Amino acid sequence: MPHVEVLPNSTSSVAPGWTYVVDTGYDPSKVAINPKNKKRVAAQPGGARGEHELSSRQQAAIARRIAELNRDNDPKQSIPVPGKTSTPKTQNARRIIQYQRQIKHWLDDEEAQLAQLQQAPQPRSATTASRIAAQPLRRSSTMISVPPTPSEATPGPAAATPISQRSHFEDDPLLSIERSMPPPLNPAELSALLTAPPLSYAASHVAPPPADGPPSRHFCDNCGYWGKIKCLKCGARVCGLECKDAHEATRCLKWA
Amino acid sequence: MPPKGSKKASAAAQTQTLVLDNGAYTLKAGLVSSASADPSYDDCTVIPNCIARSTRDKRTYVASELETCKDFGELAFRRPVERGFIVNWEAEKAIWENEFMGAGAGEGLRCDPKETNLLLTEKPNCPKELQKNCDEIVFEQFEFAAYYRCVGSTLNAYHPYGPDSLFSLPQECLLLIDTSYSDTTISPIYNGQLIQPAVRRLTVGGKLLTNYLKELSSLRHYNMMDETYLLNEAKEAVSFVAPSAQQFSRDLEWTWKGRLGDKRELDPSIVLDYVLPDYEQSIHGYARPHDPAKSRMRRGLQPVQGPKEDLLPLGNERFTVPELLFRPTDIGIQEVGLPAAIMESLSTLPEALKIGMLANVVVVGGNSLIPGFMERLESELRTLVPADYLLNIARAEDPIKHTWLGGARFASQRDRLKNVLVAKAEYDERGSGWLVRKFAGGG
Repeated sequence: MPHVEVLPNSTSSVAPGWTYVVDTGYDPSKVAINPKNKKRVAAQPGGARGEHELSSRQQAAIARRIAELNRDNDPKQSIPVPGKTSTPKTQNARRIIQYQRQIKHWLDDEEAQLAQLQQAPQPRSATTASRIAAQPLRRSSTMISVPPTPSEATPGPAAATPISQRSHFEDDPLLSIERSMPPPLNPAELSALLTAPPLSYAASHVAPPPADGPPSRHFCDNCGYWGKIKCLKCGARVCGLECKDAHEATRCLKWA
Repeated sequence: MPPKGSKKASAAAQTQTLVLDNGAYTLKAGLVSSASADPSYDDCTVIPNCIARSTRDKRTYVASELETCKDFGELAFRRPVERGFIVNWEAEKAIWENEFMGAGAGEGLRCDPKETNLLLTEKPNCPKELQKNCDEIVFEQFEFAAYYRCVGSTLNAYHPYGPDSLFSLPQECLLLIDTSYSDTTISPIYNGQLIQPAVRRLTVGGKLLTNYLKELSSLRHYNMMDETYLLNEAKEAVSFVAPSAQQFSRDLEWTWKGRLGDKRELDPSIVLDYVLPDYEQSIHGYARPHDPAKSRMRRGLQPVQGPKEDLLPLGNERFTVPELLFRPTDIGIQEVGLPAAIMESLSTLPEALKIGMLANVVVVGGNSLIPGFMERLESELRTLVPADYLLNIARAEDPIKHTWLGGARFASQRDRLKNVLVAKAEYDERGSGWLVRKFAGGG
């Protein structure tokens, strides 16, 4: 097949029925024709899973398990409020009391609202919108842009006690505490920190461990000892033959 | 009936304040009057924040009625607070009415909302819609005279350093770690004000630990998926945090049963038998040293002797469960452990504040009571903190009631309280959207 390439500075002409497409190597439309072609995917560089990477089935199982462990109320069993309950006093209160939503619905709502704010083209007050939009990207600190103003700085909390009774040791560089003192607190920076809006619930979670950190530990799926062996069928870890049999009888994901 | 605005003048005149730390697992509540002396832990009542139903005796227990429960088997709980936020107001209303307003309310807690101020705590990063619901219920359903809602952590800045400390309150720098039922939050607080962009939370809380132990015991021994109460009790009784990752590996080695044909002796200093209650003679379980003969009997390898009892052997479960606070990745939660999370929170702060925060770390919340927790946290945090920084970390004297006591101290100071309270009349005038903004600091 001839290789057709659009040069970067040519104007692309859109004709009905066909168009030039930049060949980037990976073509999702071709993959979609045969999505189950696992062998070819595995043969591609970067396509095969690494030793410690998890299959999507395992990832889904872990996510499900964590959600289960973190659940507050069982939706299957409903415990009615006993006795005669006093009637709600206003229409509003009635509405709130009758909500049957769980926390996940509220959190999903919050996320959806944030996403909507981000997508919306800059509304009238640009400053508030950009602040809300920047919110989920919490690591982009708002303070970086503030230039340090050492002249009007207040001493930091660790240095809060003013060094008023300085003696003749003052000139001795070895006894100087200047170097161990942090740069003084910048009032503008501080007030920016204190007035910043709260993060959304999802954004407040701590980051995943760094990729170059210590490798994650694996435990036996059955007894909790080190998981030295991988189950061939589902990839879970077990410690030995005894636990492998128990694992296959109960928890193996192959048949889940 | 007096005109609507008449309450406004008398709002500050209410001398009695209900301080309510509305946790997911327990309510911490107490009435504080601004005239009284310095409040203490004894003024706080801890009440389960749940409605429990037993399928065995067909009874429903609301909050403190749980004390009268004699059979915790298969007890099902309904908790109005999820992930630390009040979600189900139908249940929460029933609990508040039962504890504070009903005929069954405790003597020290009964109050008429119309003559009482409410100081209510919440977890950080609460969705705005839920805050709005909360404010609307407090004023429209309960009709409290005046109300202040704030992040519970910040109230911990109002504890005096010592009995006659000269430092003024609130404390200038405070790094509060709240490792509670729903999750673990890290809140840097400056002059009593939360530094919002630095707040971080870890998914792991007491609830997750209990559920994890429940899952492990059900997998390895009996099906206990309905025995939340029992496993929570067992967790509180036996779990401990290994002092270090090396010690963790060693303990894991010593509690291993060994391979087929190469069985090992279990370390008797770690492995325990938890004697399960039968709910006839006993209501609560207890731990005792492991007896290998008993577990052979249980598996039918040896004839049964002695009294009939059910044992739950606990080996590596004792320390692998709380280990999740330090290594959430052990069960696949993609988050760093608590010490690294603290450093992540501080990394958003300027250097000077970071130093101040590290010198004033206070830990509250029930998980901090697990033996070894504080030692492990301090030693791991020390390795992450630069060597020339001072690290001062302490657990609150009573980590459960500490936030409440901070709130009570705040509420007993009339001037402080007057500045932040919002009267019902003002709410009626300006509405709930305004109130949410006001409590968020946006005036």
